[in-house]
Amino acid sequence: MTRTLQPRAPAAPGRPRRRPRLQPARILMGLLLLLFVVFLSFPLLWLISTAFKPLSETFTAGLLPKQPTWANFNEAINDLGVLQSAANTFKVSIISALLTLAIATPASYVLARRPSPVNRAVLVWILITQTFPVILIIVPLFLILARVGLVNTHLGLIVVYVVWSLPFVLWMLQGYVSGIPNELEEAAAVDGATQVQTITRILLPLLIPALVATGLYAFVNAWNEFFFALVLLKSPELTTIQVNLSKLRGIEGLARWGPLAAGSLLATLPTLVLFGFMQRRLVSGLLSGGVKA
Amino acid sequence: MKSTLLVSAALLTLVSSSPVQAQSAPVKLRFVSLAWQTQAIAAVKEAVAGCNAANKNVQVEYQQVSWDSVQDYLTTSFQARNVPDVFHFESTPVMEFAAQGVLTDMSKLIPAEMKSDIAPGAWATVTADNGAIYGVPFLWESLITIYNKDLFKAAGLRIPTVAKPWTWTEFQQASKKLTVDKNGDGTPEQYGSAFGLRSPTNRIMNLSLGFGGTYFYKDGGRYVVRVGDKEKALLKILLDMQYTSKSSAPESLTAQSPELFTGFFSGKFAMLPGIGVWARQTIAETGPKNFNWGVLPPIKATTQAQGSATQTLSIPAASAHKKEAAQFITCFVSRVNNGKLAAGDWLFPTRQSSLRGAPFQNEANGWRVASDSAKHLTMAPYQEVKGYTEVKNKVLTPTFQQMLAGRITLDDAARQIEKEGNAILAKYYK
Repeated sequence: MTRTLQPRAPAAPGRPRRRPRLQPARILMGLLLLLFVVFLSFPLLWLISTAFKPLSETFTAGLLPKQPTWANFNEAINDLGVLQSAANTFKVSIISALLTLAIATPASYVLARRPSPVNRAVLVWILITQTFPVILIIVPLFLILARVGLVNTHLGLIVVYVVWSLPFVLWMLQGYVSGIPNELEEAAAVDGATQVQTITRILLPLLIPALVATGLYAFVNAWNEFFFALVLLKSPELTTIQVNLSKLRGIEGLARWGPLAAGSLLATLPTLVLFGFMQRRLVSGLLSGGVKA
Repeated sequence: MKSTLLVSAALLTLVSSSPVQAQSAPVKLRFVSLAWQTQAIAAVKEAVAGCNAANKNVQVEYQQVSWDSVQDYLTTSFQARNVPDVFHFESTPVMEFAAQGVLTDMSKLIPAEMKSDIAPGAWATVTADNGAIYGVPFLWESLITIYNKDLFKAAGLRIPTVAKPWTWTEFQQASKKLTVDKNGDGTPEQYGSAFGLRSPTNRIMNLSLGFGGTYFYKDGGRYVVRVGDKEKALLKILLDMQYTSKSSAPESLTAQSPELFTGFFSGKFAMLPGIGVWARQTIAETGPKNFNWGVLPPIKATTQAQGSATQTLSIPAASAHKKEAAQFITCFVSRVNNGKLAAGDWLFPTRQSSLRGAPFQNEANGWRVASDSAKHLTMAPYQEVKGYTEVKNKVLTPTFQQMLAGRITLDDAARQIEKEGNAILAKYYK
């Protein structure tokens, strides 16, 4: 298939187009933004730099390694088993995020569409649960999981993460559902749709950005979690990435910086990639939650 | 049909009484280790593998936990009664756990050979008033001074030896001589000393012991905190170096020791006094090539005595296999293993026979001078004090930080420590 060049349309009559002028205030703002971006990206640059530095250059100034090396990645992958623990974490995070959404979506619908004193009390209770410190619940939780044989299993950790993320996801989702005009559902009912059809064909497509946003929240929550994973998982082959990386930290602020940076970099990549794919939907999801119809 | 059943029953009986079936499954132990350096992990894994091979009836599963999270890990484990059978930690928190009744008294489980070989000062760190022993101490460290040999040579300084160590006065004079304002702007470009004093309490407590300052005194059956002349001696020196002679780098007040390495490598700091012996590993491995450094023997106050906590192996009271756990500890802290574990961490073995071994008597990387300092180690007095952690976190550390930063005077600090520290201790000694 060939493309033909179309003649350019003549300029519209009237005032000639003005070239945008570079105003000092705009330049200053641009520079400030650039500085801010550099400031924000510095930890990532430091991480990349240290991951490629040999041991002898760890404490030297300068971001560019003089003798770049893969040894830190080798140590993180082969000795520490970062890839195995990253795979464990990915499995646990993705399943817990999906399960959280599966439970929160219908529950949020009920909370948003069936206002009642009980539902309002549930919402208040959800907010209160967010104030509980982890250390307060870990022991009873541990005892319950031990009783049902879920200690030292990924399933046990998934259950914990679902329970941990569910209140906030539920709170967010019911806000999104409330933002969808009720009239849409009424119109569907007038057209003869059943309630299930209304939910699956009308509501869910509109909720997709919100589901992405809250799903990402649940995923990142599980991905970054340290304490539950530390206490619940005992076998090295089940370890999650955060617990595994903590093994590289020592006393008095010391750490095995090279492998730690390499491992952290590897651990950052999946979330970066996931955010990269979901970014557009995430932004629209956040906005849709912020605007009420 | 009947005969078939009879034959089957006979076969089942035979099989069930066969030697293979009679063998019991090995006892499985979970061992939580805090070793985190490459060499140290290798030494731990080797020792565990050796013990597993030597005793097939007891098989140990190794689990690594970080120093940052072990306190929370153990606290929740004790509460949930899902405990490791053996765990590695430090004597001060171990004795606090022991006071809560969650640890096994090991006094009858320790073999005589091990009991006599481990230094008495190390045993003191894990022994309660009633003689109960709540851990086997296997590693400990002293505070040493690391110095830049080239800067010493340029300043024409005598290097103190084990036989003729520096007094604190000589150390202060040397630090002053090594402080140089190269461009004459009134601010030195080179400092004689850099103390990493962001977390100052244990360092001050351990070094004050050389002046006879123990901070905690027994008054009847209870401990009280007092800051007298013996306790003030080291504090006066630190303040003098910071504000009068100005031979100590001001930035080191808010730094942890590892943050000073860059300045040490660049020649900005001539000495890192009061740093743990473990620091030699970082300097040896990450310092620039041809960096000329050495270790000075402990500085002499009234004595060269130093307080020290130990790294320990303990058995929780909730462990179902205490006897087997003690057997494993005995194997893990054998004379040979103890030497390897300490060398891997660049610390000292608590077994006196291991300390006499080759790695610790080597001149390279300051091992021999550092090892010699081990004979001055003794139990830090704060170890026996109930509520020390609370006094440290709420009173000692913030007060020392305020004083070192020049916000309060030494006398104000002494008064504050005594008043607020004793109020906390009163809760523990009712």
